[in-house]
Amino acid sequence: MERQQIGLKLVMDQLGLPVQVDTFEDRLILQKAVYLAQAAGVNLGYYFRWYLHGPYCSSVSDDGFCVAIELGQGTEDSAGWSLDAASAEKASGILDLVDCNDRSALAKKLELFASIHFLLDRKQVSGQSPDKITAVLRKFGKDFNADDVRGALGELRDHDIIH
Amino acid sequence: MTSSIEGVSRKLIVDSLHGDVHLDEREWRILDTVSFQRLRRIKQLQMGQVTYPNATHTRFAHCLGTLAIMARILRVLKEDGGISLNEKKRENLRMAALLHDIGHYPYSHLMEGIDHVDLTEEIVGGVGSKSFDATRSRYPDHEEVGKAIVTGQRDILDAIGSPDRAREVADLFTRSEAADLQLSKLLHSSLDMDRLDYLQRDSRATGVPYGDIDMNYLLNSLRISGTSMVGVVEKALPAAEQFLLARFFMHKAVYFHKTTYGIEEACRQLLRRMRDAGSFGMPKDGDEVLSLVRSAELSSFTDDYVDRLVRRASKDGNEVMQALASCIERRRPPKLLYEVQVFENAEHQTINRGKVFFSRAKRSLKALAEKYGIPLGQFLLCCTKPLKLEKRGASLTVEQARGLESEEEDELIKVFIGDEPEPKSLVEIEHSLIHVCAAHLWQAFRLYVVYEGKNKEDVVKRLRKEVGEWAECV
Repeated sequence: MERQQIGLKLVMDQLGLPVQVDTFEDRLILQKAVYLAQAAGVNLGYYFRWYLHGPYCSSVSDDGFCVAIELGQGTEDSAGWSLDAASAEKASGILDLVDCNDRSALAKKLELFASIHFLLDRKQVSGQSPDKITAVLRKFGKDFNADDVRGALGELRDHDIIH
Repeated sequence: MTSSIEGVSRKLIVDSLHGDVHLDEREWRILDTVSFQRLRRIKQLQMGQVTYPNATHTRFAHCLGTLAIMARILRVLKEDGGISLNEKKRENLRMAALLHDIGHYPYSHLMEGIDHVDLTEEIVGGVGSKSFDATRSRYPDHEEVGKAIVTGQRDILDAIGSPDRAREVADLFTRSEAADLQLSKLLHSSLDMDRLDYLQRDSRATGVPYGDIDMNYLLNSLRISGTSMVGVVEKALPAAEQFLLARFFMHKAVYFHKTTYGIEEACRQLLRRMRDAGSFGMPKDGDEVLSLVRSAELSSFTDDYVDRLVRRASKDGNEVMQALASCIERRRPPKLLYEVQVFENAEHQTINRGKVFFSRAKRSLKALAEKYGIPLGQFLLCCTKPLKLEKRGASLTVEQARGLESEEEDELIKVFIGDEPEPKSLVEIEHSLIHVCAAHLWQAFRLYVVYEGKNKEDVVKRLRKEVGEWAECV
């Protein structure tokens, strides 16, 4: 496994999430969890683009598939590796954002968090207006309403991911 | 030269691949900036010229070519009636095509990727801690660097006209554009103009014919669906398949050529060592890269920037750095000791021969290095990126490909079958070659040595024999 893939595996471990890529939901959770970890200050070096389901990075997909295959083959070699203490703490700081047993609900929640952060970070929406953010998300066929966005904005602020 | 098309006065540049490339006044101003002219001093094919002497074409020519293709795509889709763009959006798309590679590092992807380079000592183990450091910002990809240049360099801002407009253009090529789905899809469809240009340009420059594609037919066959999906009509299926095959063979024959790849790997490892040493003037992290490209130093951030570092390492570096630098400077490519190529169906998820070789090399290399008295860092244990016919292809089973959601589908080439209103991905079309081969990937696992000591021929011969023996007996 390349060092980059080890890094990805360590962050997912820190977030308590398995590296799974079997379904679209699995892949969406992987994408958005990595995005949010980076937004929280864990530098994995992935660059995300805007797609229909929010921020997406093809390298995360590629690395995720490699890790999943190695896990399946039993050749995964991240044992003995650890995330540096400061980054581990930052990742732990968003644990409750990714804490949800229902995978579908988790995927939807993470999509909303990551999308809002991307739109604000990339200045695609001016200010933190829930209505404006909702309008952009609607353009991409999302059924999030202004209350969902308002709640997510609050959680992102509480976790210091947006200010 | 000045010409006139559609009644608008335009500048004209003749490109060896596309013929006449017409630029409007603003595009001409962009071209004329110091920031853009920098691309004349960055080779498109990194160190490809060590193998193919004529492969000295630059990012500058490629950017012009990409603009030429964008102009043709806009014309075809306008005639087809599937797209309606106002003048400002058309201009933005053209500028995004022209500027999409303005952020390339010296030697293109070579320097950009050093955060992903694992040194031989690290691969073999026993050196350094097993702590993954995610506190340091990574070198940004070239599109992010491009955004920093387009929105941060005065000459480009002046040429574009306003900071807001500059940001709109940068948002397009970094795909941050959330305001217009149609524009985004057009720029990033899998039949992207970037690949359409570089495959042919690289093919002509190297003299390797496999990159030649039926571009005219592909471009004239483009259509756009009601949901803004870009695809080609069914008649162009063979041309689309050949486009993907061209990419596949160009990687095998040119981009991953054993000699080029070996010398590039030596350079990657050298740059990584120099960056880690902190005393050679390499940007220590991504933040320093962004500071550099926003400063007046940008114009010197060209291939020569790396050449100077290599020269410095050959004098001031440690033993391994000097050996790596010398092999680059004097064109003494690392000697390939052993290679395993695999072409496998990824669905089977077997532990292939390449992985077995890699694992054996990790266990045995240290002893081999000690036996021959060659520093471990002069052995380069590396593997190419897995090469797939379709971008997402080999990561997925055909069934998974059918279940892809839109962002993953965006990366697949699509074909309009019959009168169907929406195109299908090539992977899904059962009578296509890509459907059959999509799950396959090719990868090369290689071990090189950088050695210019006594009895070179004999030492390399003996190393090959030993590595061959322990590689074959696994």
